[in-house]
Amino acid sequence: MNYKEVGKPLLRTDAVEKVTGKATFVADIKLPKMLYAKILRSEYAHARILSIDSSEAEKMPGVRKVVTGQGCDILFGACIKDQPPLAVDKVRHAGEGVAAVIAESEKEAEAATKKIRVEYEPLPFVIDPLDAIKKEAPIIHEKNHLYDRVPGYPSEKNTNIFHHYHQVKGNVEKGFSQSDVIVEEEFYYPLLSHVQMEPHGCIACWDTSDSCRIWASTQAPFIVREIIGHMFHIPLANIKVQVPYLGGGFGGKSDVSIEPMVAYIARFVPGYPVRLVLTRKEAFTSSLLGRGMKGKIKAGAKKDGKLIALKASFYYSDGAFGDTGCNVVTATGFVATGPYEYEHCEVDSYGIYTNTPPVGAYRGYGHPEAHLMSERIINIIARKLGISQTELMRKNFLSDGKVNAVGQTIRKGNGDLYQCLDEVEKALYSEPKPGDDSEYYYGRGVAALMKTPMMIPNASSGAIIKMCEDGSFNISVSGIEMGQGCQTTLTQIAAEALQVKPEKIRISKEVDTQFSPYEWQTVGSITTLRVGNAIIQAAERAIQKMKESVGQIAHKPAEDLIYEGELIRSKSDKNFQFESKLLALSYLSPEGHGVGEPIETTGHYYIPGVNFPLPDVGGGSCCGSWTFGAEGAEVKVSKKTGEVKVSHLAIAIDLGKAINPMGARVQMVGGMMMGYGAALTEEILFNEKGIMKNPNYNQYKLPRLSDKPEKLTVKLVETPDETGPFGARCIAEHPAISIPPAIMNAIQDATGVDLFAIPVKPKDLLAKIGGGRDGKN
Amino acid sequence: MAKIKVTITVNKLKHQLDVDEKETLLEVLRDRLHLTGTKNACAYGACGACTVVVDGNAVRSCLLKPDKYNGSEILTIEGLADGDKLHPIQEAFVEAGAIQCGFCTPGFVMSLYALFTENIKASDDEIKAVLEKHICRCTGYEFIWDAAKLAQKKLQTM
Repeated sequence: MNYKEVGKPLLRTDAVEKVTGKATFVADIKLPKMLYAKILRSEYAHARILSIDSSEAEKMPGVRKVVTGQGCDILFGACIKDQPPLAVDKVRHAGEGVAAVIAESEKEAEAATKKIRVEYEPLPFVIDPLDAIKKEAPIIHEKNHLYDRVPGYPSEKNTNIFHHYHQVKGNVEKGFSQSDVIVEEEFYYPLLSHVQMEPHGCIACWDTSDSCRIWASTQAPFIVREIIGHMFHIPLANIKVQVPYLGGGFGGKSDVSIEPMVAYIARFVPGYPVRLVLTRKEAFTSSLLGRGMKGKIKAGAKKDGKLIALKASFYYSDGAFGDTGCNVVTATGFVATGPYEYEHCEVDSYGIYTNTPPVGAYRGYGHPEAHLMSERIINIIARKLGISQTELMRKNFLSDGKVNAVGQTIRKGNGDLYQCLDEVEKALYSEPKPGDDSEYYYGRGVAALMKTPMMIPNASSGAIIKMCEDGSFNISVSGIEMGQGCQTTLTQIAAEALQVKPEKIRISKEVDTQFSPYEWQTVGSITTLRVGNAIIQAAERAIQKMKESVGQIAHKPAEDLIYEGELIRSKSDKNFQFESKLLALSYLSPEGHGVGEPIETTGHYYIPGVNFPLPDVGGGSCCGSWTFGAEGAEVKVSKKTGEVKVSHLAIAIDLGKAINPMGARVQMVGGMMMGYGAALTEEILFNEKGIMKNPNYNQYKLPRLSDKPEKLTVKLVETPDETGPFGARCIAEHPAISIPPAIMNAIQDATGVDLFAIPVKPKDLLAKIGGGRDGKN
Repeated sequence: MAKIKVTITVNKLKHQLDVDEKETLLEVLRDRLHLTGTKNACAYGACGACTVVVDGNAVRSCLLKPDKYNGSEILTIEGLADGDKLHPIQEAFVEAGAIQCGFCTPGFVMSLYALFTENIKASDDEIKAVLEKHICRCTGYEFIWDAAKLAQKKLQTM
C-alpha cells in the first residue's frame, strides 16, 4: 500500500511545547484557593495502629485540616476492593499513608505532619512471596476472602494468596513422559520501580458533595472516575478527571495510584482544590512498584528438538494491596511458554500479599517475568540437546496455524518471528565474535518475545472528529500522551484517513472525562491499534456525511462522489468539484438556507471476540492481539571484577506497519535500555525492618548515558495485521521484555555460567566463573 | 522563617523578592515566578531535570539557596527561544527525536546551552560528561546524544 502520511517520520507534534517548557504537567497547575497536602507515612512494614493524636498538628500555622483513616470504611480497587484511602486499623507497608495534613503551603503541611503522634504495635512482616505462602506467615489481610471482587479472581482463605491463575493445555505429565530431555530451574525477577521522571501528582476539588474535579497524572482517567464514583456513591457523570501531559507512565500511573487518597482527603475541605505531589522518595515507597517474581519452570523436549511439555509456577510479591497486580498474575500465565508451541503446558500463577508497596503494572505486564524463564530455558535445553539455540527456537516458533498455550491459533497476520530472528542474528553475528583476551570474556545471546495486551473484553476507545470551517479537524481522543508519542502517530492516522496534511489535524492535548470520548485506559501498548481504529471509523463516517451533503446539494447519489480530502469529485462528471470545508458547519446555500448536517462524527473500537479466561482450565479467547519479536545482546565480562559491559543491543520487531518509523525507533531503544536496567542495575531492596533501602536516585541505579551500548540496532519488520490501523500492531512495552534473558544468554556464551536471577551481580558472577570459563581455561 | 531580600534577573526580567532563607532557586522559579518549564524530579540534585543557567553556568536549581542566587543573571528554558524561533539546541532536540515524555528535556537543553556557550568546540568526552549528570527514563539516551551532536553542528555553522 502507498500511504501519504502513514510511514513518514513526522516530527513529534508535542515536541515544541516540551522543548520550550510550555507543556503542562499536573505539578505545574495552580488553582485559586488551592491547598497543599503532605502525608504522614508508616515507618513500619506491618503494624497495628493503636492511636493517632493529631491535636498538636492541627494547631500548626497554615494548617486547615488533618485527616486520618480512622472510622473510614471505604475500600477501593478495580478487581479486588482491598485498599483503604488511608490506613485504618493497621499499616501493611512502610510508606503507607496514615494521616494527611492539608495546609496553605507544602512546607506548612510538611511541618505539621511531624507533630502527629501515632502509636503502633509492630507485627511480623513478610517480603518474600515464597515466605508469604508458608503456613506460619503473618496474614496481611485477615478479610482476604471477604473482599468484594470480580468473578474469576479466587482467593484462598486464611492465606496471603489473593489470586491464583491456573491454565492447562494437554496433559503435561504425559508430555514429560514422552520427553528425551527435561530441564528444571528456578528464577528471580526483583521488585523494580518505574521511576517516571514526573513524580505522581493529583489535585482534587469537591464542588458539591456529589461532584468533583480531579487533575491527575494518570494513564487511566476513566478508571479513576469509576473508582472515585464507587468510593463515594456519586454519579460518574459528576466526576471530571482531567489529565494534562504525563511525564512517563510505564504502567505505574495505572489503574489508580494516589488519586483515591487525594479525593478522600479533599472531601474534608469542600470547595478547595487540594494538591498532592509526591516527593521522589514517596514515588518509590508510596505509589506502585513493578515485577517481583519468583518462578519455577520445568520443560521437556524430544531428541529432534521438538518442545513437548512445559510446567511453570509464578509467585508474585504483590505488596500490601493486591488489586493492582492481579491481572499481571494472569497475563504471565498467558505467555509462560514464550513464543513457542508446546503440546502440553500447565501454569500456576499466584498473586501474593506481602509487606511492600503495592505492585502493579510495569512495562510488559507479566511478559518480562515469563520470558526471563522461557528464553533462558530454551538456551539450556538447546545445549542439552547439542543443537544451536536459534535452531531450537526456529523449530518451535509460534507461526501461522500453530496453537499457543491459551489455545488460540496463530495467524500469519500476527507477525513473522522467523524474519525477526533473522534480522537480530544478522545484526549480532555480522562480524566474528572477539576472542577472549586478558581482560574480558566475550559473548552473544538472543531471546525471542511475544506480547498480548491484557484487557477486559469490552475495553474500548473512542474518537470524536469535528471539522472546522477552514477544513482543519479537531480530533478528541482519550489516549494519554505520556512520552510514547501517541499524539503524533494518531495525527498521522487521522491525516491518512481524512486525506489531509498533518498540519490540518489537531489531536486533543488534554483529556477530560466530561468532554473526551471514553477510553478504558492507556495501557497494554494499545493506543495506536484501538484509538487508531476508532479515528478511522470516525473519519469514514465524516467522509460519508460529506458525500451525503454534496449529494443533496448537487443532486448526485453519494456513490457517485469521490472524497479527496479538500475536494469532493464526481465519478460521472469530470468537471464537478466541491470544496469539502464548505460542509463543516452544514452547507450555506446561495439561497440562504442550510443543507446537510455539520461534519461532527464519532468512532469506536474494541477488539472483537475477546473473553475472560475460561474457568478451571484458563486460556481460551482471552488474548486480543499478538506481537512477535526478537532481541539480542553482545557483552563482555571483566575477568577481574565480573562486571558486565553491553556493547550491542538489538531488536527486530514485527510491528505490522510503522506509522512513524522514527518514533518506533526511539521507543525501541528506550525500552531496550529499560530492559538493560532490569538486567544489570535495578533492584528494590528492603532492610531487616522491611523498610526500603534505596528509594532514591543515588542508590537505585538507573541507566545513564555511559550505560548506553556503543551499538544499538532496531529493525522494523512489517507483516501487516489486518485488524490494525493500516496494518499496525502494538509495540510500546515490547523492547523491555527480552533484553534481560538476551543479556543472560550472552553471559552464558561468554563465561559458561548459567544465571537465573537479575540484576546480575558482578561478585556473584565472578564467583560462579571460578577458575575460568568451562572448557577454556 | 526569616525572609531575605534578593534581586535576580530571570530571562532578562529583573525581580525583587522576599524569599525564605532556605528557599531554593527552583522554588522561586516555579512557585513565585510561575516559570514551570524547569522541572522538579528529585529535589536533591541527582537527576538534572531542574537545571538552569546561572551567570553562565549550568546549575541544579533545586540545590541553590538565596546567598548563591542573589544578584544573579538566570536563564531558564522559557528564555531560550526567540519568540517562535527555537534556539538551535531546541531545534536539534525536536529534529533528532530526543524528546518523549519531555520532563527531563529542559534540563538537558539548559546544560548543553551552558556547555556550548562556553566552548562550542567541546569534545565528545566533555559533552558526555555533561549528559551523564542527567537522567532520562524514556529515550535510552541514543537520541539525546544525537541531538547534542546536531546542536553543536548547528551552532558551529551559525
